[in-house]
Amino acid sequence: MTERSSAPGTAPPGLQGAAPATAPLPQGLPPDASRRLAELEDRPGHKGMFTSDLSVNEFLLIKEVGFHPLGFVIGSSIYHLGIQTRKWSQSQELSKLTEAMYEARQFAMDRMDAEATELGADGVVGVRLDVNYYEWGSDTAEFIAVGTAVKAEDGRSYRNRQGKPFTSDLSGQDFWVLMQTGHVPLGLVMGTCVYHIAHRGLGQTLRSTGRNVELPNFTQALYEARELAMTRMQDEANELGATGIVGVRLEEKSHMWGDHTIEFLSLGTAVVRSEGDHTIPQPRTIISLDG
Amino acid sequence: MTLQDEVRRAVAAVATPPTAKGTAGNPRGTTSDLTIDETLLLHSAGWEPVDLVYGISWWSIPWGVWQWATGEVQEASAAFAGAMDHAAKQLRQACDQAGGSGVLGVEVGVRVSSHHISIELTGTAVRRIDADSHHFEFVSDLSARDFVLLVRAGWWPLGVAAGASFVIAPRRSAREWASQQGQNVELPNLTQALYLARERAMERMQSSGVAMKADGIVAVKLREGRASSSVRVIQFVAIGTGVHLRTAAHRSIAPEMVVPLDEVVREFDVKSLRSGKGE
Repeated sequence: MTERSSAPGTAPPGLQGAAPATAPLPQGLPPDASRRLAELEDRPGHKGMFTSDLSVNEFLLIKEVGFHPLGFVIGSSIYHLGIQTRKWSQSQELSKLTEAMYEARQFAMDRMDAEATELGADGVVGVRLDVNYYEWGSDTAEFIAVGTAVKAEDGRSYRNRQGKPFTSDLSGQDFWVLMQTGHVPLGLVMGTCVYHIAHRGLGQTLRSTGRNVELPNFTQALYEARELAMTRMQDEANELGATGIVGVRLEEKSHMWGDHTIEFLSLGTAVVRSEGDHTIPQPRTIISLDG
Repeated sequence: MTLQDEVRRAVAAVATPPTAKGTAGNPRGTTSDLTIDETLLLHSAGWEPVDLVYGISWWSIPWGVWQWATGEVQEASAAFAGAMDHAAKQLRQACDQAGGSGVLGVEVGVRVSSHHISIELTGTAVRRIDADSHHFEFVSDLSARDFVLLVRAGWWPLGVAAGASFVIAPRRSAREWASQQGQNVELPNLTQALYLARERAMERMQSSGVAMKADGIVAVKLREGRASSSVRVIQFVAIGTGVHLRTAAHRSIAPEMVVPLDEVVREFDVKSLRSGKGE
């Protein structure tokens, strides 16, 4: 395991800088993207329009809280995932893979952010992060981030303290409820940890055969990996000055590494209380009869 | 009553045209793939289903385009646009013949093989209950439910906006391949090729939205997957419904917050660890 004191979650690679010098994308948007985005904007002699992957429900709810959709934005990165040696009998974080998984997602999100910024958006709602594998690419994965850029209709800026549009993986419905409770989203925060879980030795296996016992090494490994992922997510939220994270999901995937190597990814939307008093409307309780 | 009798009666009921004026232009009576709920909702908004309509178009693609080209396969994208246009015209004709003034719930079926692209549009033609004459107004892939909601807020669907692009994923050179083995790095040429292909599909969808003078496109679906027999050919299809604001301003739908008491609790999922192998 290489020595890295700072967790990858605390130092997100920016749009510039951290990217390898050969990569043409991180320095700006590809020309086709800029052309597409330009078509969306109103100009003299050209009537713009919006595109959005929000459903009709979500679209109307976003309008309800005073936002207008601007455009469907997207970012992607195809990444070659290398190998990292792991010890058969030792539980450990695979920090290089962790970094790779983090960086690839960050690239995709940064590009999506750049598209939203180009549209002059205040935020991006309904963000989805996805990983694709193609048959032609061994050890290659495509990381995608998509969402709908929105802008406040009252002219108020909702950008976060980094001056970037907020991102949120909340659906239109959740976004509406969040705004009703007097919170505003700051950003989609994530933490990841690729962990190798030790195999058990022959002695251990024999000792526990036919018995009901806890397997401490497995327990501990999974516990630690999850904690690491969640801590990194929280660090990101702290950086944004959030008061909380809502809608946290913890995903576990082995991708292509086999049984004992698992990626723990935690994702959520960092939120902060907006100024002013808010009375949370009393929700009506209903019992549907078509259970 | 036996089951057979019941079935016979049900079939007879469907086959008998309604006595209302609904039979004009459609001697078969009403056929639709709408659910009962959706039909009721449509009625509440002053609309009714007329008939199930479809438009189908096949376009051929020149031989060999998948093998010899690199980057985007322009011929295939053009064939998609042509087929889509043609299928939409057919759908509109079918709708006119059925006496409808709009088509809802359009399903877009796209099939791509190495020599042709086929597009099938299937939807339910609808018309206003109170109007005597029917002129064509819209095509939309939104459900009847979405349509009613949209109209209530002052918006109106116009048509299905779609765009596609087909791209052959570039190969890495032997040197690149060797230098990337075992590394954690981004692959810039692949990233760029797929990024552009996606952007182009969306740009084409946008252009068709602009052409129908839409204010926006809602419910965009971006489909992607393998096209043709080569694994390196990837297709991106973007489909949505163009909408425009008919009233002077957006009307609030005034949603209310409800807490259903029978919500399923989200459970923690550890499926990935349950493979049972590898002690």
